[in-house]
Amino acid sequence: MNFLGFERPDGSAGMRNHVLVIPGGLLATKICEFVEGVKTILTADSGSGRTSHDRETVARTLIGLGRNPNVASVIVHTGAVGAGYPELNPTRIADEIAQSRKRVELIDVAKEGGTFRALEIGVQVAREMVLQSSQLRRQPSPLGQIAIGVKCGASDTTSGIAGNPVVGYLFDRIVEAGGTAFFGENTEIIGAEHVLAKRGANAEVSRRILEVAAETEERAKSTGEDIRTVNPVPENIAGGISTLEEKSLGAIHKSGSAPIRHVLKYAERPPGKGLYFVDNWMSLGSIFAGYAASGAQLVIFQLGGGGWTGKDLLHTSTAVVAPLMWTTANRKTLTMAPSCIDFYSGGVIENGDSIEETGEKLLQTVLGIASGTLTKVETIKHIDPTQIYLKDSPF
Amino acid sequence: MASRGALILADADNVATAIDDIEPGTEAPVRLGKEVRIVKALEMIPFGFKIAIADIPKGTHVIKYGEPIGKASSDIKMGSLVHVHNLEGARGRGDLTKGGER
Repeated sequence: MNFLGFERPDGSAGMRNHVLVIPGGLLATKICEFVEGVKTILTADSGSGRTSHDRETVARTLIGLGRNPNVASVIVHTGAVGAGYPELNPTRIADEIAQSRKRVELIDVAKEGGTFRALEIGVQVAREMVLQSSQLRRQPSPLGQIAIGVKCGASDTTSGIAGNPVVGYLFDRIVEAGGTAFFGENTEIIGAEHVLAKRGANAEVSRRILEVAAETEERAKSTGEDIRTVNPVPENIAGGISTLEEKSLGAIHKSGSAPIRHVLKYAERPPGKGLYFVDNWMSLGSIFAGYAASGAQLVIFQLGGGGWTGKDLLHTSTAVVAPLMWTTANRKTLTMAPSCIDFYSGGVIENGDSIEETGEKLLQTVLGIASGTLTKVETIKHIDPTQIYLKDSPF
Repeated sequence: MASRGALILADADNVATAIDDIEPGTEAPVRLGKEVRIVKALEMIPFGFKIAIADIPKGTHVIKYGEPIGKASSDIKMGSLVHVHNLEGARGRGDLTKGGER
């Protein structure tokens, strides 16, 4: 089973063929405005005033996005807030991306004589990169080249009984074929961590899963608030979910049934192929960019939506270089936002369709998107800002 | 049209998830795989919400997916709606561990 992908020098295969300019900011944004086919990250998380741990998270995100298979070549510039910290040194970032053997150019703003001179050079380099990458042709690439990330959101009870299990089937198929799959959301394993821990590939992974749940619960308790006023969010409760435990037990179905190979940090690159749990935050403004930095060429938002009203235009993308696709198993949600939902799995509830047959259809949809079919929200140019998942306080 | 009733997700469950609106008084089909039970709805159970398929005494676990999802905060009769008014989560409860100052 194949898709048509762009072969990269490190042996990976891209579903898209972007040029990336990082870090974000004026220079990167202006290059994107001038040159077709160029992406950048839109975020206020520069790393400035952050702990070394958090700065490393910012660096890992930028490097990971640069290494993503959907990126043909990368421009790194020095004109960013935070560039003075060793973790965020532009040469370090460029060098680590270049380990994937793709083309990386460093633009030194001071050496070029300022922002406007650097912009002129950046535009010309980006145009040249785009022309060069446009000469690549898609080639058959095996299913095992896919890396995919999922978040479930606005969960309702259709998520746990149909939407998430169908995505879980897709995950199993991708992992069986030698591919890579990411799931996460550290708050949303609380109450289900004992079930998940049994799927650890070894005792250390199981221990880490329990530890992540315990740390997250401890942080939640330290606020002095009932977590039910934070999560489940009001939309979950309006959709029929009563407790965090119930939400978590439904949420973990999106991971399928494969052994969990490792617990990754936000934006961390996996040590190999397989299924990974990522210690990340559920926010859609954060999670997808992290998956893309871990190497996902495609991200899925599995939407319940039972508690939503009138949201006909769904969130477009914060995965920066990876397309976002939406799935739902709720008929009402599908009717609410037909121009944004790429796949409907509600037949499992309405017609008694099996998870397997519905999951096979989802796999075909994913292979189409992997081969170049746009996701529905990919047709919209608006980009929402990314919140890089930083755990420490700012100083 | 008759209600499609509700789905039980695991043997041990004492609640089922409505896959259709269930009107009060309806003898609703409640499915666990191929097995079908009939539970009379004591009140309106909207699509996606939970119906008790056994009596659940106050303080005992409400079970879904074969796992506890919290405890009954009052006695729940078979056929009742089970939601935040009679089911309390036990996890992440900072309001209970911080001396109840909030």
